[in-house]
Amino acid sequence: MTMIRIEIDGTEAQVAPGTTVLEAVRALGGHVPTLCFDERQDPFGACRVCMVGVEGAPGPIAACMTPCRDAMKVSTSDATARRVAAATVELVLSELPEPPAAHTELATVARSFGIDGDDLRWPGEQHVREHDERHPYLALQQELCISCGRCVRACDEVQGAFALTATGRGLHANIAAGLDQGFRESTCVSCGACADTCPTDAITEISLLALAER
Amino acid sequence: MSRNLVEIVRRHHEVGAPTALAVLKEAVQQRGEITDGDRRRAAARSGLPEAAVHGVSTFYDDLLQPRGRSRHVRVCTGTACFAATADEHVAQISAGLGLELGERSADGEVSLAETVCLGFCHASPAVRDGDVVDAGPGVVARVLAAATQPAAEPAPRSLLADGPELLARGRDWEGLARAVAQLTPAALLEEVKSATVRGRGGAGFPAGSKWEFARDAPGERKFIVANGDEGDPGSYIDKVLMEAHPNLLIEGMALAGYAVGADHGFVLTRSEYPRSKPLLEAAVAQAHREGMLGARVLGSDFAFDITIVEGAGSYVVGEETALLACLQGLRGTVSARPPFPAQRGLHGMPTVVNNVETLCNIPVVARAGAAYYNELSPGAKTSGTKLVCFNERFARPGVYEVRFGTTLRELCEEVAGGLVDGHAIKALQIGGPLGGILPGWKLDTPLDFDALAAEGCMLGHGGIVAFDERTDMRALATHLLRFGAAESCGKCFPCRIGLRRGYEMFAGGAAVDRVKLEALLETLELGSLCAHGGGMPAPIRSLLAHFPEELGLAA
Repeated sequence: MTMIRIEIDGTEAQVAPGTTVLEAVRALGGHVPTLCFDERQDPFGACRVCMVGVEGAPGPIAACMTPCRDAMKVSTSDATARRVAAATVELVLSELPEPPAAHTELATVARSFGIDGDDLRWPGEQHVREHDERHPYLALQQELCISCGRCVRACDEVQGAFALTATGRGLHANIAAGLDQGFRESTCVSCGACADTCPTDAITEISLLALAER
Repeated sequence: MSRNLVEIVRRHHEVGAPTALAVLKEAVQQRGEITDGDRRRAAARSGLPEAAVHGVSTFYDDLLQPRGRSRHVRVCTGTACFAATADEHVAQISAGLGLELGERSADGEVSLAETVCLGFCHASPAVRDGDVVDAGPGVVARVLAAATQPAAEPAPRSLLADGPELLARGRDWEGLARAVAQLTPAALLEEVKSATVRGRGGAGFPAGSKWEFARDAPGERKFIVANGDEGDPGSYIDKVLMEAHPNLLIEGMALAGYAVGADHGFVLTRSEYPRSKPLLEAAVAQAHREGMLGARVLGSDFAFDITIVEGAGSYVVGEETALLACLQGLRGTVSARPPFPAQRGLHGMPTVVNNVETLCNIPVVARAGAAYYNELSPGAKTSGTKLVCFNERFARPGVYEVRFGTTLRELCEEVAGGLVDGHAIKALQIGGPLGGILPGWKLDTPLDFDALAAEGCMLGHGGIVAFDERTDMRALATHLLRFGAAESCGKCFPCRIGLRRGYEMFAGGAAVDRVKLEALLETLELGSLCAHGGGMPAPIRSLLAHFPEELGLAA
């Protein structure tokens, strides 16, 4: 197999054909933030937070979807890529009625860009609070959903239960279980893969401790 | 696009099952709205999981807008209708019927919805009452009196009277006859590549290269898909081609199938053009009778057939990956490429997706050859000819076949006769909502891909919408961003949230912070997954460059 030679932040590397830029960066121990990416799933290309610079390219590219090409020179600290990714994270925070919990992936990514959510440049319409706690183990908070598609893909690609779907479009895109009558009435098998991958706590597992507190 | 769902769709298609979208469309036509029972039936008949069907039912306009039992009125909010009335026709009809957009009367009899766009831009404003599209002066009164009548369709005209150009001939099947009798598939592909047929849907990608990728891609079957989802408000070129010249499209698709090794083609038409599907189906049936389609095309060993599928109201479905999702009855969201449709398209098989006008260019190449085609627009960078269309503000609106390189001044003043009633061209929007806005003082720009790009504009699909001196440019920015936000497929974050934020910056009437606006536009341009989020900033950039004093920018 002919290997592909690329350069990431000044370090040369050889990767197998078909390797994405994100895989190459991570293999070299580098860091690129992501929100819609989960290594257990096919890349999705929705969040646009994994933007990196490529020498000679007209603009930044999404590392998760871009295959490495021979002689490609990637910069994970490219100023334009970082600016666009940071602005996108800022937009995501603006759609949530409350800041994400500190332990979530979204909060971690926001912190890595130095965005605290207090002084957003583009405030506007936010998601409406709507909670579904009809399932004994899985809770859904619709207002925290950022449409990253990870839960839908976990249910489709990993579990094969097809209990979840993306809904709506534009700012009103969200997710639903079954015919929007909750996990319990859907084909959900209570595996918890959706809650496990959710980067915002929109879907969480209700623990026995939490149940005891009620 | 979920590979599992695509495989489910493929297997059910093979045994003749309808798509979930087709079943849902049927339900809404029969009962005026979709119930969970309809969703369960659609899941059972299509094989798609119930959740996925629910997702489809919340994506398309046609499935979301409740319909009145006796009357469903859809008012066009396209850019040409905005240019004609500044959206006053919308307010008048809404007030007259006593219904908001998207509302059904309490007794369930009458409903009002918006639609973008009906393709009657030559006679704006346009309103669809059931399946009757009425347009032009007096339309509001006729809608309110429940006395709508069909508006006249535009007559396409070619300004190239001296040869076998695209519109004047092409009903004779000569290109297909010559290809099947005299050319190998490889020779036809070479001819199309030599003719450098650039895609007419907006991106300008060479059709021959797309065909070559699909021909060389491994796959047990291959497909040709005609993109008839001409969603650009202000454009009605594909509508005219599909409805007045369907044979040209059928011939172009068969030629593509011959070159690529595909035995089946699909046309995705728009539900906003209710005549397209029946007219194309009639033309396909006629082509079968004439031996131009079927198991032995023109008596040869080449087999080709065509299926017509109608969409359900979504602008982004014009993007090729979203179009394939819609054809398979799934949510019309965009997928990142690679894989390209030429590698993994419809039902996971190698697929050529070409715009309708692009395919309509192929018979000329097959009949007269690449050398002839390359000379059709002397001195221009692009080969062949272009169809352009003009909106109602012009004295002679309609669809015209012209040569590339013609200046916009010649087009606007000589071909379309300037504006009506002595109005002046304040600006033009060319190529749809993702195209920049050319101020009236730059009409000497030639009509071609590169020349327009140099002005921050694009040829797009060739729709030319003129705004006269009365147009409020802040209202135009608001109009465009409202459309952009409503049509965002919701997949990539910059477009999903950013277009809504752009709309909110203009809609409230507050002063717009230019620095924040430009940072938002950059995020959309560089961050978006497809040309919708990436292109919507173009007209806003033009307005910032040419009409900043009208935008209400903060001091």
